[in-house]
Amino acid sequence: MKLGSYMLWAATAVGTGVIVLLGYFVQLEAGAPTGLMQTVFGLRLLIMRWAVLLAAVGLLLGLVNLFSVHWRKISDQEQGWTYSTILILTFFITLLLGLVFGPDSPIVLLLFNGIQLPVESSLGALLAITLTLAGFRTLQRRRDLVGLAFIITALLVLIGSGPGIVPNASAGYGFFSGLRNWLAQVAAAGGARGVLLGVALGSVVTGLRVLLAMDRPYGD
Amino acid sequence: MGSIDLLGLLVLLVFIILLFVFLAIGERRRALFRPIEGYEALERAIERAVEAGERVHLSLGTGSLIGTDSAPALAGLAILEYIGHMTTLSDKPMVVSTGDGAMAILAQDSLRSIYRSAGALDRFGPNRARMLGPTPFSYVANLPILLANEDVSAHILAGSFGAEGALAADFGERQGSFTLAGTDDAQSQALLYATASYPLIGEEIFAAGAYLQQDPSHRASLQVQDAVRFILIGGILLGALLRILGINL
Repeated sequence: MKLGSYMLWAATAVGTGVIVLLGYFVQLEAGAPTGLMQTVFGLRLLIMRWAVLLAAVGLLLGLVNLFSVHWRKISDQEQGWTYSTILILTFFITLLLGLVFGPDSPIVLLLFNGIQLPVESSLGALLAITLTLAGFRTLQRRRDLVGLAFIITALLVLIGSGPGIVPNASAGYGFFSGLRNWLAQVAAAGGARGVLLGVALGSVVTGLRVLLAMDRPYGD
Repeated sequence: MGSIDLLGLLVLLVFIILLFVFLAIGERRRALFRPIEGYEALERAIERAVEAGERVHLSLGTGSLIGTDSAPALAGLAILEYIGHMTTLSDKPMVVSTGDGAMAILAQDSLRSIYRSAGALDRFGPNRARMLGPTPFSYVANLPILLANEDVSAHILAGSFGAEGALAADFGERQGSFTLAGTDDAQSQALLYATASYPLIGEEIFAAGAYLQQDPSHRASLQVQDAVRFILIGGILLGALLRILGINL
């Protein structure tokens, strides 16, 4: 029984994966006669639409999960339960306003532009401070050649990019600016391409493992 | 009519053939891999957390399951399986977080399978894997609360992250947690290198299964990556040489 359900999930995942993947390799011209390839192409589009729908349902379930986690915290009066109360209250107020006035209404946009955007922008701004502190920590933590190269490169790029660090009219500006360009366009770009090559190979193999049912993230 | 990308299909076929070849070879001769500091330290960190009655947190990132950025999170599921098996029966089992609803369901399902295989399904709760927020920064804004409230002492990031990954890693470091972080984006990797004690560089995140689970198929996958990499490097060098010699193909 268990083997039967496992085989069913695996066959569904493999079959769906193969159809979607084949769709990427097949390019059909407009008005092409119907045939096997067109069927595969049509199936791929259908599956992709289902996937988008399922992802939306996944988002809904994720929100239910978020609600239940915070509801439990309030019920058990766990540490930080007041934050959970604020979250649930704002969750319902936003949902209610969105349902009543629509997602594009001025009041919902005001909530988004007045609360969501500034909070997210603040976190983005915090990143600059976080990275500066992390740079100092790296200096303490990694006292090896790679750590040293990382810090020196970051400093050189900063000097070459930041306005006012080296006066624009001085001879040093041209040197640091040129060095920054070389570091960014030659050294960093070359390294990044190497990293991306490895990541691409890793991604392909990870996808293939799921496609061949070697990895079964959909359960046994 | 239409056209079929035969070259693409051929490359895919090469990957599949190599995967099965290395799988067959691996059964007779075990391959040796270079040590990765993060994975070596992970086992000790989990053991320490279990013994101290603290929790392990795994983040599967803020990428979508159906997007092109799902691969690192799928690789992160191998880490989930490894940590899950080590912490299922501990006082404080692991907690998983993600920024995508569908990924949260997948993580719940993977955890349920681990609890079932350990015969401890009654200890499983769907809140062990949760979506913290649907946008990258709302996800990361919720993270410090989770880390503090759940007594997290091992903080692992394995999924797709943008700039918010640096904040996510930094929150763990500030709490004094063991922080292992890996992602697929090259720029985010640079940020994680600066913020996390144990960053995973390049494709190291995809090696989790081979290093942690010692699974033959994961080891074969890693060998395929290396083999194809050498083929590509050979091709690049040959192309450069031909160009120097003035031969344009």
